[in-house]
Amino acid sequence: MRIEIESIGKRFGAAQVLTDVDLYVPSGELVALLGPSGSGKTTLLRVIAGLESADGGRVLFDGEDVTERHVGERGVGFVFQHYALFRHMTVTENVAFGLRVRPRRERIADSEIRARVAELLELVQLSAYANRYPSQLSGGQRQRIALARALAVRPRVLLLDEPFGALDAQVRVELRRWLRRLHDEIHVTSVFVTHDQEEALEVADRVVVMNQGRVEQVGSPDDIYHHPATPFVYRFLGNVNLFGARLEGGRPRLTGETLAARDAAPGAGACAYVRPHRLDLSRQPRGGDALEATVAHVHAAGPVVRIEVSDRAQRPVRIELSHERFRELRVKSGDRVWVVPREIHVYTD
Amino acid sequence: MSSSRSHAGVLPGFGLSLGITLTWLSLIVLLPLAALVLLAAEQPFERTLAILTDARTLAAYRLSLGGALVAALVNTVAGLLVAWVLVRYEFPGRKLVDGLIDLPFALPTAVAGIALSAVYAKNGWVGQWLEPLGVRAVYNTTGVVLAMILVSLPFAVRTVQPLIEELEPELEEAAACLGATRLQTLRRVVLPVLLPGVLTAFALCLAKSAGEYGSIIFVSSNLPGRTEIAPLLIMNRLEEFNYSAAAVVAIGMLLIAFVALLAINLLQAWTRRSQEA
Repeated sequence: MRIEIESIGKRFGAAQVLTDVDLYVPSGELVALLGPSGSGKTTLLRVIAGLESADGGRVLFDGEDVTERHVGERGVGFVFQHYALFRHMTVTENVAFGLRVRPRRERIADSEIRARVAELLELVQLSAYANRYPSQLSGGQRQRIALARALAVRPRVLLLDEPFGALDAQVRVELRRWLRRLHDEIHVTSVFVTHDQEEALEVADRVVVMNQGRVEQVGSPDDIYHHPATPFVYRFLGNVNLFGARLEGGRPRLTGETLAARDAAPGAGACAYVRPHRLDLSRQPRGGDALEATVAHVHAAGPVVRIEVSDRAQRPVRIELSHERFRELRVKSGDRVWVVPREIHVYTD
Repeated sequence: MSSSRSHAGVLPGFGLSLGITLTWLSLIVLLPLAALVLLAAEQPFERTLAILTDARTLAAYRLSLGGALVAALVNTVAGLLVAWVLVRYEFPGRKLVDGLIDLPFALPTAVAGIALSAVYAKNGWVGQWLEPLGVRAVYNTTGVVLAMILVSLPFAVRTVQPLIEELEPELEEAAACLGATRLQTLRRVVLPVLLPGVLTAFALCLAKSAGEYGSIIFVSSNLPGRTEIAPLLIMNRLEEFNYSAAAVVAIGMLLIAFVALLAINLLQAWTRRSQEA
């Protein structure tokens, strides 16, 4: 089922949390709402669910206006960051809850409920835990049960609010890959909220980057990563070095000056963004865009070698090299080097 | 030396603190109770039985226990409601209301009794409006129950309040998303979680109400066999210098209180087991 959001606005007291948000979620896609805390992503998710009512605008499910409809009648499955499992019920009772509270006329037979619960527990690979209580499960298991509970009522939309936020780093990664595979199996239109760009880029079909209550950019993970529409998106998606720049005949040239984040404020002129792994080092002086610098630190433990150099103004520049390239260069702390940008992004006001 | 250390754990003084605890408990609780039993046993058993089954004694027990049951039931519901409002809603004066709840804790019970009679008596603020309706709120059993409700309310509120604070609103939201109505959410999600606390609140209100004396005697007509509570009967027997009869009535109260608390504790243990098994 497709979701359309039309000029949704929401304020809590004096704080404007969402400003004129438009969004389109195609049927069957897995969409990530990505943004820093306070960007309004969770509020937007709760507005879609009907847990929060917007001050203005409309929410449409398959073209049908559901703005005024109560959360229980929207047919949404919601997964909370802290699971929100009913702790006095067993796993089975939790999953069956949505089926058992239906009005008598619509309720399916007891045997069918049991079969459906068994099928869902199979799907989330927790059949062995049917009679346990939530307190006897690990975080990852609890979140899978919460997901099974949400899916039991066959929701038209699945909404997940920071579903991996409360889990250990390793479990997080496992569970998000599992969620991706699960989505490929069941194809229910899903929206999940996250502040972790890696998570959004790895799992989602489409990423919606939000900032201060507005949508900054919508696109495929590839798009978002390689063609960030705004400086905010560029910076939010990973580490970045900022350099002063000017346009020469439509081509950006570096001015040879390194900038701190605050210098890149709007109105400060053109600014070039370069990711650490798109910078190279050279031992010989190089013309063009190369900057002279001194190596400050070398961290070689990890999948890439991270090097920090200081330019002539003692400002830091971060560089990531492959181990092969690092062995060729053999730079160490105190060496004089030239920083060579391979790919630069320029935003002008 | 080494063996005693391994028993005591990291912190020293286990033997000393246990000794002090037991001595203190004996002096404050066990010794007076034992004296009470001795006092009651000064007379033949038939006489004890006669005092216990005397119509006046039975009426006093019925009033104290029955009134306490009603007061505890009312306060369990009202306390839950008050605690819910205090935890879940923001409104001007919330802190003040929260503080007022504790007032019956601190108030001398006589003050509570006089205040109640001032408000609910025939010429009181509320009483004058009740009178034409044919409702009398004081100087009868209603007055007794009213006083019990007043003095035991804080026990109910303060017992369930922390549990409601721990109850995440997400649980209700999750239930609503799954299609549960407000009533279903309350009955199947909220109340089961609060149940142990609600039972404790009921027990505390029952105990406090059954033992209440000071405030009740101001709002009851204190007629023997009709509106005389058990503690007052004990008092009256003492004034008649009939110490052993007073002790027997007191022992009866003790037994009733003990059985009531035991029953509620068993019930609590059972609900807890069924929740966390």
